Amino acid sequence: MRSLLIPLLACIACAVIVSVTAVSVREKQNENLEYDKKTKILLAAGIIAENIDEEFTNITTLYIDFKNNELVEMEDSYDPIKATFNQNTSTLVPKEKDIAILKRRENIGPVYLWLNDKNSIDKVVVPIRGYGLWGTLYGYLSLDSDLNTVRGIEFYDHKETPGLGAEVENQDWKDLWEGKLLYGSHGGVQLKVVKGSAKGKYQINGLSGATLTSNGVSNMINYWLGSDGYGPALKKIKSLYGPQVAMQ
Amino acid sequence: MKEIRALLFDPIVKNNPIALQILGICSALAVTVKMDVTMIMCIALTSVVTLSNFFISIIRLYIPDSIRIIVQMTIISSLVIMVDEILKAYAYEASKELSVFVGLIITNCIVMGRAEAFAMKNPPLKSLIDGFGNGLGYSFILIIVATIREVFGSGTFFGVQVMPDFYPTNNFLLLPPSSFIIIGLMIWVIRSFDDEQVDENEFPLKAHTYKPLTAKKEVIDG
Repeated sequence: MRSLLIPLLACIACAVIVSVTAVSVREKQNENLEYDKKTKILLAAGIIAENIDEEFTNITTLYIDFKNNELVEMEDSYDPIKATFNQNTSTLVPKEKDIAILKRRENIGPVYLWLNDKNSIDKVVVPIRGYGLWGTLYGYLSLDSDLNTVRGIEFYDHKETPGLGAEVENQDWKDLWEGKLLYGSHGGVQLKVVKGSAKGKYQINGLSGATLTSNGVSNMINYWLGSDGYGPALKKIKSLYGPQVAMQ
Repeated sequence: MKEIRALLFDPIVKNNPIALQILGICSALAVTVKMDVTMIMCIALTSVVTLSNFFISIIRLYIPDSIRIIVQMTIISSLVIMVDEILKAYAYEASKELSVFVGLIITNCIVMGRAEAFAMKNPPLKSLIDGFGNGLGYSFILIIVATIREVFGSGTFFGVQVMPDFYPTNNFLLLPPSSFIIIGLMIWVIRSFDDEQVDENEFPLKAHTYKPLTAKKEVIDG
């Protein structure tokens, strides 16, 4: 009898302690995650800021309805990842189009836009995510004013193997992305993470020992910047905020 | 009083969990690149081993012998999860760098070892002091290793530049194997001062028994 009771009591006591701690610090943890995401948005765009919130006032956040690629108004607190858990705010991605293995995609997605003093695009950050080897990688990709040249890439959450797939966080590898081109002459996404040595403006060296993670990154770029993702919306943004000065 | 002092300070040099018992090496290799991360790991481990010793000791007379390890593990892992959650809330950057190593405190041999060897046989207060002492012993080694690695590996201390600009940073010290070497050197230093810690030679080499052949060597593989 005693050999059952004591472990049971110990388990209950431990469970209570663990859950009380977890619940009481949840809010603070979420704040940290939010802060981390914002830092990564800035880092992707190549900004190292002391005051994140102040830096964020320079950003115009646009929300895109993926159904018709129209710009819509959303509250600041809108979280696209949370939206995927709700049937009304997300849609099932058809299998044949689901190259990044998302299963559900939010109906409305944000684009972070920096405008220069002439009110045209300076740089842009779009959220990307997709399945790697062990789980979904969440990150941001930053583009230059031509909406074709890559400025940087950052990941804020992933479950890849430390030392192999987790090298997506390696600064040396992230540096490879800068200056690469996204769209090929035919209009579709041509940028790829390749095995072996990368050649030209459309290829990035894959992570050695992490082919599946590399493919995952390739696929998520292909999906999110392609015609099913932000591709059409970026074209629209370009026409709205494009460099008017150049045309004059 | 003397006993308490022995419990508290013996694990630092005389009976160090890392240097003498060679326990808890893996985290000592992994988290000693930067001082601030190391300090957080030390605090985390010390609080876990102190509290786990204390709680296990309280219920030691009621734990059925046949399942004592599981009960100990339950308590230890609850404490580790608690520490991990608190770190995620209040030391987010450090907890990201520590990643799995906070969770791995559960399997740290020092924590299990103290629970099994000491807390199961001694009253709560003594166990608490013993746990804290062993935490200090672990921290002592880690802090020295981290100081050497950070100062000579990145030229900084707690992230502040201490080495002059012309100092070429030693990249080897940033890699895990370097702490193996540093810990090895520390064990050597400690044992050369304290003969008692020197292991008995379990496999002494025998005297030379080989007799050189007098006959002319045959060529076999011509």
